[in-house]
Amino acid sequence: MIVYALRRLAAIALILLVICAITFAIFYLLPDDPALDACGKSCTTERLADVRHAMGLDQPVLAQFVSYLTGIFAGRTLGTSGLECAAPCFGYSWQYASPVWDLLLDRLGVSASLAAGAAVLWLVVGVVLGIMAALRKGSLLDRGIVLSALATTSAPVYLIAALLIYFVILQGELLPFPDYQPVLDNPAAWAASLLLPWITLAALYAAMYIRLTRASMIETMAEPYIRTARAKGLPERTVVVKHGLRSTMTPILTIFGIDLGGLLAGAMITETMFGLPGLGKLTFDAIGKSDQPVVLGVTLLAALFITLANLVVDLLYGVIDPRVRYT
Amino acid sequence: MSKKIGLLAIAVLLSAAACGGGGKAAAPKSGASSAVTKGGTLTVLAVSDFDHLDPARNWTMPAIMFGTRLLYRTLVTFKAGSSEIVPDLATDLGTSEDGGKTWKFTLKDGLKYEDGTPVKAADIKHNVERSMAPDISGGPDYAQRLLVGGTEYKGPYGGRHLASVEAPDDKTIIFRLKRAAGEFPYTVTLPTFSPVPEAKDTKVEYDNRPFSSGPYKIEGYERGKELVLTRNEHWDQGTDPVRLALPDKIHVKQGQDKDTITDRLIASSGEDATSVPWGSAGPQSLSKILPNPQAKERLFTGPTGCTSTLVFNLNKKPLDNPKVRQAIYSAIDKESVQTAMGGPNMADIATAYLPPAMTDGTTQDVFQIPPTGDVAKAKALLAEAGVATPLKLKLTASTGSSTPVEVSIQESLKKIGIEVEINPVDASVYYDTIGDQGKADELATYGWCPDYPNGSSFLPPLFDGRSVKQTGNSGNVAFFKDPAIDKKIDEIYAITDPAASKKAWRDLDAQIMQQLPQAPLYLEKRGYITGKDVVGAVNHPVWAAQLDYAVIGVKKSS
Repeated sequence: MIVYALRRLAAIALILLVICAITFAIFYLLPDDPALDACGKSCTTERLADVRHAMGLDQPVLAQFVSYLTGIFAGRTLGTSGLECAAPCFGYSWQYASPVWDLLLDRLGVSASLAAGAAVLWLVVGVVLGIMAALRKGSLLDRGIVLSALATTSAPVYLIAALLIYFVILQGELLPFPDYQPVLDNPAAWAASLLLPWITLAALYAAMYIRLTRASMIETMAEPYIRTARAKGLPERTVVVKHGLRSTMTPILTIFGIDLGGLLAGAMITETMFGLPGLGKLTFDAIGKSDQPVVLGVTLLAALFITLANLVVDLLYGVIDPRVRYT
Repeated sequence: MSKKIGLLAIAVLLSAAACGGGGKAAAPKSGASSAVTKGGTLTVLAVSDFDHLDPARNWTMPAIMFGTRLLYRTLVTFKAGSSEIVPDLATDLGTSEDGGKTWKFTLKDGLKYEDGTPVKAADIKHNVERSMAPDISGGPDYAQRLLVGGTEYKGPYGGRHLASVEAPDDKTIIFRLKRAAGEFPYTVTLPTFSPVPEAKDTKVEYDNRPFSSGPYKIEGYERGKELVLTRNEHWDQGTDPVRLALPDKIHVKQGQDKDTITDRLIASSGEDATSVPWGSAGPQSLSKILPNPQAKERLFTGPTGCTSTLVFNLNKKPLDNPKVRQAIYSAIDKESVQTAMGGPNMADIATAYLPPAMTDGTTQDVFQIPPTGDVAKAKALLAEAGVATPLKLKLTASTGSSTPVEVSIQESLKKIGIEVEINPVDASVYYDTIGDQGKADELATYGWCPDYPNGSSFLPPLFDGRSVKQTGNSGNVAFFKDPAIDKKIDEIYAITDPAASKKAWRDLDAQIMQQLPQAPLYLEKRGYITGKDVVGAVNHPVWAAQLDYAVIGVKKSS
């Protein structure tokens, strides 16, 4: 298993290098010029050349790429401005006058809080309702759950957020508008500030997980080994939880890993609607202001989370299903 | 008394009370036991971060207002809600001894930074110099263009200094300019002319923590998340003719959703009652605000000071013929353009280049075309010019702007046999495209917002033929060249009498209109809705109609 994990980690490093190269190349080919943006409104050719030189953007693209990669491990000095960017240096945001790594770390807490809370909510709600629907297939309860899931899946996330804001905050005045507080500063305020964003995200994902769990559970419960378990006189709870759910969880865990990995890099719409200063909002603003180092940093971070989440999920298969062997 | 005049009166009362040493100026409201006082927290709800707060880099109008009203004072500034200039750090509006080529300012006594140290003339010189460093780019370039040696100068960080800015003692600063500049008292309202002590200069990172000489200092700034300002205890209101500094604290919450901000301010509950938006209300927001009488009462609308135009590419035939340009101008239904912009709440019709803020509120109308256009006159002019119809013209439009305006122009010109093909260009390359003589289409929509309300910041950028380049044109995107106009511009630069200068720019406006290199279309307006406990809100005509943070406060119930 260790050899397998190491091999996968090496593959992840290669994937990240390729993504980095592709993203870097795309930004280089884009018409947006960070030096021109920084130069100002009535920029002259001479001034632009000076600004480009000061930002280190007058170097060949390959040299810039090598410098970028070197900076991740050894840090670097940016352009001629004498700015030091300590390792791990994922570039420098001229927009925020800050190393990208500092920005990512600063925003990661918000996005991780949002993703983790929402994930717990949607996993619990999705799996429980999915199992209930599967075990009462064709009943009124099943139809109700499936219909609700279908309706929620069809609703765009901004609609769910807008409805919650309107009815819970603006009209109902049941909660103040979210004002994010770090969990260690004030856990109650942290939870209160994230409650509606959690519900928004969880509503979207739970609907998918209900349908996924239901389908998988129905298929599993029709397997011969379930019939055998029942024939052996095992209590129904044991049959469902120990034999049925365990097998059902494999595909759910796969999709959960990908979903959570992606969400850790930010939920752009939810963060924007609720004014949460997470990675999604950072990306949204960075795209709007052509802050390419930030976009590149978030892209790499997202790729890292998704690939790592997949690795963790693959390793967990063995825990869930002892038949799985790592080769 | 209109709502806004009433609020201005409150501001004046507050100012008088504050200057008289009173800490509390009551503004009783019938039926409520509330009072306007110094204190409380004003919350500003913003979609995103400021582009820059470093005074050497700050060059967007609302951010200039925010910076110069709250964090750093300039040599000269504007009165509250007015385009009239008054001395700020300086004792007067500056004196010039050689026809406007040399300007001298003397600093007031008692000016202090947030740490209690005195503001010195050398600090202003340092900021002017650093604004020319390539590392500190993006700010207003007036100092670089005007000062002797400015174009070649690369900033103070290598130990080099600009000889044309002199600080012979702590109180005196002298600027030596390349040309006569009667408008220089306006120029020094820009944040380039605020003080930055060399010892506090953190170069690029100064953007994250400007050192305050204004009424507030930065308590915390997490870029893109929030900015918290608290009082600068060393700021002396006795030295400041403009700022009231009413709230104890100003909390800018960034990263909010634009539509949600409007909804929150309409509801105006809890903390939102003492909040203002950073961005203006768009047509969608106005459709929610205007039908709601309580919300409408809290909407403050004013002109941005910008004029939007239709640009004629004078390199392209038949637009090189003034009669054709006049025919097109005559055919445009400006009321339809105004409707496309969102109606009278969002725009006024323009008939001249200079906005009313620069012409004492009056407007010129050289051609006297009815607002809905004059099709018959337009057709006659086309015939006179010998242009056969149908005539096909291309109109460049930015994908990031209001395409209904372009469609409206297209429909107007169709009536006189001109088929307009709208050529959508990505917003990121729009200005590069229309500023490139090799790429620009026959027509383009454009707009110009001056950096200060003086003709020198408006007509020369748009019409000085000496500035036209092959590519990278900004302002003069009609590629208009007329040596007589250039000569006239130079003559007006040398006028140091403000009234005479204003009249001369206005006359030049009419003179250029006769040639019509660009067709004025509309004057954009912006509206801001405030929370119900915000007082003293007034649009500022110089800074894109943004609410004036010099006099805004929050109401405290007692």
